[in-house]
Amino acid sequence: MFRSGNRRSSNRSRLLIVILLVTSLFFITLDLRGVSFTSGSRSVTQTILAPVQKSVSNIFAPVGRFFSDVKSFGKTSNEIKELKSQNAELKKQVILNKDIQGQLTQLRGALDLAARANYKVVSARVIGRGSASTFSQTISIDAGTADHVSVNETVISANGLVGVVKSVESHSAIVLLMNDPAFRIGVRDARTQSVGVLIGQGGNEYQFQLLDPTGEIKVGDSLISNGSDGNRPFIPGLPVGYVTSVDHTSASLTQSATVKAYANLNNIGVVSVVVSAPTTAPRSIIQPTPIPTVTVYVTPAPVATPSATPSPTGSGH
Amino acid sequence: MNPLRVALNTAFLFFVFIVQESVVTRVRLPIAGFSLYIAVLLAMISLEERNGAVALGFIGGLVLDLSPTSDGPFGQWALILTLTGYLISLNRDSVAEFIEGHIGFGIFIGVAASGSFITYLLFGTLLGESNGNLSRAIVIILGNFLYTVIFAPFFLPPLRWMRELMLTSRERS
Repeated sequence: MFRSGNRRSSNRSRLLIVILLVTSLFFITLDLRGVSFTSGSRSVTQTILAPVQKSVSNIFAPVGRFFSDVKSFGKTSNEIKELKSQNAELKKQVILNKDIQGQLTQLRGALDLAARANYKVVSARVIGRGSASTFSQTISIDAGTADHVSVNETVISANGLVGVVKSVESHSAIVLLMNDPAFRIGVRDARTQSVGVLIGQGGNEYQFQLLDPTGEIKVGDSLISNGSDGNRPFIPGLPVGYVTSVDHTSASLTQSATVKAYANLNNIGVVSVVVSAPTTAPRSIIQPTPIPTVTVYVTPAPVATPSATPSPTGSGH
Repeated sequence: MNPLRVALNTAFLFFVFIVQESVVTRVRLPIAGFSLYIAVLLAMISLEERNGAVALGFIGGLVLDLSPTSDGPFGQWALILTLTGYLISLNRDSVAEFIEGHIGFGIFIGVAASGSFITYLLFGTLLGESNGNLSRAIVIILGNFLYTVIFAPFFLPPLRWMRELMLTSRERS
């Protein structure tokens, strides 16, 4: 009798686990097939979480900053020393730059920087970060559809690209940071204008893959965003990062490099979402510039005959 | 586990989830982050009998799948944590030796959390998700293990006390 009860209980347990596993697999299948209720449930959670995160952000910001400061204490003192020496070097360069500045004024029209000033942005505070249990690199911001923020808009900070708006609610949005492993952006090398792809690695370093097999990358090269069709998800001309090391792997067809971002994603408190961009934004040059053909004008030398009378139309082109 | 306790546990798990998403994620700990939610959930699973452990794993996984920052498909954590719950409940006798003291319990939860993360990553890879480089994933898992062991003595006693409160007189006997 007791054994029969035990067996029944064991059978019930097996049935329960089978039902729950099948249900989980059913949810996964629905999600992968794009059924909207799964994304809708996450939107509801975000709507619930946003006000809580916003109020907690005000209270716990000093705590978060304290841990961050403790973490980077040694690093900060080294950075101060480094910055002091860089500052001295920069002071010398300022004198030289005055000459270059004159030239820069003429070149400015060709640069994307001028057009960038025309972008309309919405500034937002960072109210939350991606959970440690998700492996994704995201932040939550306190601006949403009510502030004209929509999905696939570029998010920038004072130093350059931060990420792209992944999902948006009425008063909050989730931004996929550029260091997320799923993040890809078309960039170009500011020095050589070679185009490539920058891939997030989850940490502070990024992988840059050059598309041009004959292209060359050098340490210190700056990478600038290439821009997308209709400026979504990326606007052109944004500073993205700089090359810290070049991977010399002979086996690969194209060169790749390790890149560090200009924006410090660990300590971002305020970001700006580019909500509107001018329709005449400068794009990357796709058409090759025609090479000017050289025309040679030949003027035959007059024949030196003492008897000949010099003609006024004697020379030709 | 009776329906009332299921409802109470679900409400409690949702509360911990909000704390995780709003407070814990704000604290930038060195090395990597700490998932208080997974630690609490695995501790609750370890204290339950088989059906309770499996049900809690499934419910807890669904709550975690609700995370708006999650990249994985809805139901992935539910699947992983249901399996984890089942495996823990299968080895209940061995688990009982660990969960007597807070340090042993903390280490056990840390190992279980690491196992869950690894399974999540492997399953995600099978589904074609990009999880970044391996070294970064290892750092996250090890960091979470370390913080779970460190913080376990702080959250385990109130968790045990709360569970005792929720048990019916029949379950206590």
